[in-house]
Amino acid sequence: MAVEQIADHVITTDVLVVGGGIAGCCAAAKAAEHGLDVTIIEKSKLERSGNAGMGINYYTVGAMPDEGLTPLEMVKRWTEGPMMGATLGKGRFTDPNPMYRRWERGLWAVNELEKLGISMRWFDGKYRFVADPFRLGQVRVTLSVLWQNVKPLMAAAVKKRGVNILERTMVVDLLTNKGRVVGATAVNTRVGGFIIIKAKATVIATGIFSRCYEGEQPISWKYKFRYHWCPATASGDGYAIAYRAGGELANLDITGCGFRHQDELTMGYGLLVLNDGILGKLLNWKGEEISSLAQQSASTYAEMEEAGLTPLYESIEHLPDDFHKRMEIYLKDMRLASLKLAEQRGFNPRKHRYQIMLNKPHQFGLVTGINTEEDYRGSLKGLYAVGDCAAGCHGCYMAVPSGLLVGDSIHSYVNGAGEPVIDEGQVENHKRAALAPLSVKDGTEPMELECAIRYICERYVGQFKSEGKLREGLRRLGSLRRVFLPRLMAKNPHYLMRCWEVRNIMDLAELHIQACLERKETRGNHIRLDYPDTDPARDNMITIQRLESGKPVLEIREVPDLKPEYAKE
Amino acid sequence: MASDIDRFAEEIIETDVLVIGGGLAGCPLAAKAAEHGLSVTLVEKSQTDRSGNAAMGINYYIVGANPQEGVTAQQLLEWWTNTYVRWTGGTQGRFTNPNIMYQQWDKGLWAMHELEKLGVPMKWFDGEYRYVLDPLRLGDLKVTLNVLWLNVKPILAKAIKERGVNLLERTMIVDLLTRDDRVVGATAVNTRNGKFVVIKAKATVLATGNFARIYNGDMAQSWKYKFHYHWNPATISGDGYAAAYRAGVELANMDLTGHGMIVDELAMGYGLLIRNDGIPGKCLNWRGEEVPSRYWQSMPKLLELEQKGLTPLYYTIEDVLPDDFQKRMEVYLNDMRLATFKLAEERGFNPKTHRYEVPPPMPYTFSLVTGINVGEEYQTSLKGVYAVGDNAAGLHGAYMAVPSGFLLAENLPSIVNNTVEPAIDDAQVESQKEMALAPLAVKDGTEPMELECAIRYICERYVGMLKSEGKLREGLRRLGSLRRVFLPRLMAENPHYLMRALEVRNLMDLAEVHINACLSRKETRGDYIRLDYPEIDSARDNMITIQRLKEGKPILETREVPDLKPEYIKEEA
Amino acid sequence: MPAKIDYRKCIGCKKCYDLCPIDVFSWDEQMNMPVVAYGEECWHCGICWMECPKRAIDITYPASFW
Repeated sequence: MAVEQIADHVITTDVLVVGGGIAGCCAAAKAAEHGLDVTIIEKSKLERSGNAGMGINYYTVGAMPDEGLTPLEMVKRWTEGPMMGATLGKGRFTDPNPMYRRWERGLWAVNELEKLGISMRWFDGKYRFVADPFRLGQVRVTLSVLWQNVKPLMAAAVKKRGVNILERTMVVDLLTNKGRVVGATAVNTRVGGFIIIKAKATVIATGIFSRCYEGEQPISWKYKFRYHWCPATASGDGYAIAYRAGGELANLDITGCGFRHQDELTMGYGLLVLNDGILGKLLNWKGEEISSLAQQSASTYAEMEEAGLTPLYESIEHLPDDFHKRMEIYLKDMRLASLKLAEQRGFNPRKHRYQIMLNKPHQFGLVTGINTEEDYRGSLKGLYAVGDCAAGCHGCYMAVPSGLLVGDSIHSYVNGAGEPVIDEGQVENHKRAALAPLSVKDGTEPMELECAIRYICERYVGQFKSEGKLREGLRRLGSLRRVFLPRLMAKNPHYLMRCWEVRNIMDLAELHIQACLERKETRGNHIRLDYPDTDPARDNMITIQRLESGKPVLEIREVPDLKPEYAKE
Repeated sequence: MASDIDRFAEEIIETDVLVIGGGLAGCPLAAKAAEHGLSVTLVEKSQTDRSGNAAMGINYYIVGANPQEGVTAQQLLEWWTNTYVRWTGGTQGRFTNPNIMYQQWDKGLWAMHELEKLGVPMKWFDGEYRYVLDPLRLGDLKVTLNVLWLNVKPILAKAIKERGVNLLERTMIVDLLTRDDRVVGATAVNTRNGKFVVIKAKATVLATGNFARIYNGDMAQSWKYKFHYHWNPATISGDGYAAAYRAGVELANMDLTGHGMIVDELAMGYGLLIRNDGIPGKCLNWRGEEVPSRYWQSMPKLLELEQKGLTPLYYTIEDVLPDDFQKRMEVYLNDMRLATFKLAEERGFNPKTHRYEVPPPMPYTFSLVTGINVGEEYQTSLKGVYAVGDNAAGLHGAYMAVPSGFLLAENLPSIVNNTVEPAIDDAQVESQKEMALAPLAVKDGTEPMELECAIRYICERYVGMLKSEGKLREGLRRLGSLRRVFLPRLMAENPHYLMRALEVRNLMDLAEVHINACLSRKETRGDYIRLDYPEIDSARDNMITIQRLKEGKPILETREVPDLKPEYIKEEA
Repeated sequence: MPAKIDYRKCIGCKKCYDLCPIDVFSWDEQMNMPVVAYGEECWHCGICWMECPKRAIDITYPASFW
């Protein structure tokens, strides 16, 4: 076949998993258990890739029958809880039914994790529940987990099950044929080989998207890849390839507000406080206590800023000794680097406070991502999405069950699917576009263009949106696309990776601004200066964007209700 | 005296007058002082031909009082105090001594003729003086010339060389030398070969221009290229301000920033030229509705417009272009801002059909009334050191720089004749040298721009446009951490980076002074906005904020601004 | 500052090179040692430091992260 001549490497597989994070590994492991031939492509290295690369310390199980916590209760508490309410505002944004089923299978997922070799227990060998980090009420549902090495363990499990792993390999685009996803093209980011993967089913598991904004932390001159626990690999590759292939993306107007993080120390200490369910005190700069972090939103922060009460600080000075000891265990387990920084800065949580909260968008997640129908199918045949890159499937406790569920069921699709047929012309186009930056001389460095895109989002989108600014942002982005995208240059495959990331970021930034233009209301952290009220016509609606015959289309669609059999529980 | 300095100084220079900074203030001053027979040494961080704000050219110059045209110094003073300062960020009222400005306006014509004697052209292509209509809201005062000054700096550079000024280029000041409560010269370092220079001078004049680099520019932020501040060259790191401050000299109004005026590079060329040519462009909101200038020239009003969702604002000249305008534009752009013209061409910008954006409110440089506090003879609070041009509080702009330089130069002969030989404190020289050269020995340290960006972030985030006590305190605290931990780690692999390290030291000092000043100003006045003090404090009317080091400790006081002298007021009658 | 390698302690085990999520290192075949090739991309996650068996890599946070 001619494709062999275009590519350095052609792989044929049953299931292609794009992204080797927690979701991707779970999906791959499970699918392999069903006897399928599975290939993972991962931009970095499985052992330390993704949000869980450095470790995680909490895991929300799901429905707990012994505690009287039903899946319906979980769905209610999750979606109607103060944290989600403050960030998202009223109503549903994604289909609650898959969430129901994830919570329903929560205990099963925990069991599966243990079978993969991942311990869910504390040092003492027992399950250790934390008190309510997500403000779900007083229920034993979130485990403290010692997951510093969750990724190496998952990597081992995946290898043991015979999954074919291509690391340092970044996806270029999905391959499609007559509306069906039949695989992808990719390039090895170290040696530059161009790879075609023919797959009957493709599962996208590339995690969240953040790089069209700056991180919440102080902005460095050179070091532009700091997004707290989100690795800089979160360039939205999965979103972008799905979109360019004709798939639907959801809720690209809704960003997560950087409400918790201003200081790198917050990452270590603040997060652990949150996840251990301990209540630190939230203070204004004068030292006066204010109501809990869970109730803070972009608007409440803006009010306090106007009143001259910011910055805000979290203090755990008052906490008992054994808490501080537990802190140290956590920090050693989960965020060694944070502990190191704290030591370097002389931070003593028994005496010092760390700054919290900054009103700016910095990442997508929560309800944004690839729009999936039941059972994680994307809107194209042969396409699935799990974990953070699927809309409404955010968090490790959603990544795991979604990955496992897809892995467990995808064989029925695969066994009935025909052989993937590849379009040579499409492959050639991918290759040409992908490798073009290698021949550009005196062009634009990817990070220079990326920073220009980020500046547009910071300045013309930002936390307090309005039409004029959004339009100007879109116009400027269009200029950048027209002039600078073709000038992107890469002197080696590593920088080629950066060029495609920037291409993805550019595509998504444009969609983001268009979606924001459409949402003419203020709801949760989506604040429109020109539309300060909530528009009830938008209650329980999902923003969908896709390409139709090459043209961007945006529609607003009603979000389904919980099925009667779930709702009546 | 034969001193120990010889041991470690690589060059020692003795001079009557030391001029630090070779811009539009420093060069006229140096030329004139040399004409008077004084030995003059000029130290310039870049190359005098193309240094300072005027490096790429300027196209307008406010002459000053002109009896023939019926323009008086009093009128100009009123305009400056009541219109211009308000327009560019202050509010009505005085922040600096009005007598200095009065005397400069008064001698404006004389200063202009002195410039011509140095070879600087003041006339238009047709050989006539060409007055522009009201670019700076001077009403119908015929006082602002269109000038073709693309090459004003090379001309001035030639003039000073011809007059025997000793020119030390690519040389950056390290610190002032003091002895017996007097400034006796300065130390400096060559930024190409690293040579450490000691200059003994009877009179030292600071003329290092404006100060900006503790904020990001108001233009789109680049990843790598952090030195864009419009017409302000990136050399404006406040070297003069900082050296003065560290020597114990008073700084004025370090709380007041000027806001960004230009978000688009195109506005630099076109916008500025339109304004300076007196063409009445229109400001529109994003919907295309006209916005009166009183709205977009005031920060609080701009913020209001933003809150109402009416930004961005755009400037347009689409319907008011006279036929010959395009030609005049091209003349200007070829004369003054070649680079902008080039960018406009690359971007396909056509002023007949396109608009450019007016910026969001943000501080990026310091105000017209900020600088070294000077008296009517350009003297500072320390003997032996003077300040002119943008370095001096209240003397901003080309049309202030030039007369200030000339006027001080007129007094320098008598100042020099009445000054004894300067005596240098060897220990002081040694310690300045050690401190200055230290970054060359640091390995695996911090790059200057990394620290600079950290400082800028603090000012953007914790000072910014909308100030409040908690944020200012947090900013000061963080700045203190940076100073403690990172200043000693600054590293320079060569003298060029040494220059950057020295600049960052200046920025750090001045950022601290700035935040302290802001903490002290507990009111909202003009573009100075305190969220926690939204009213004007009348106790601050006509007051100048003064900061200096006293025995190493920073002190701040507010002082009443002197009144205009009776003889100056009488003139109007 | 990105990962700083103490070459006296480095044993060439390749863990840092293998595991870095951002691909900051390249490998010098001749010296059998890692080299920081894309330092500006370092996001200071500390994985290289965590994983190095000889603690031959150190990370220090730059000024702007303070």
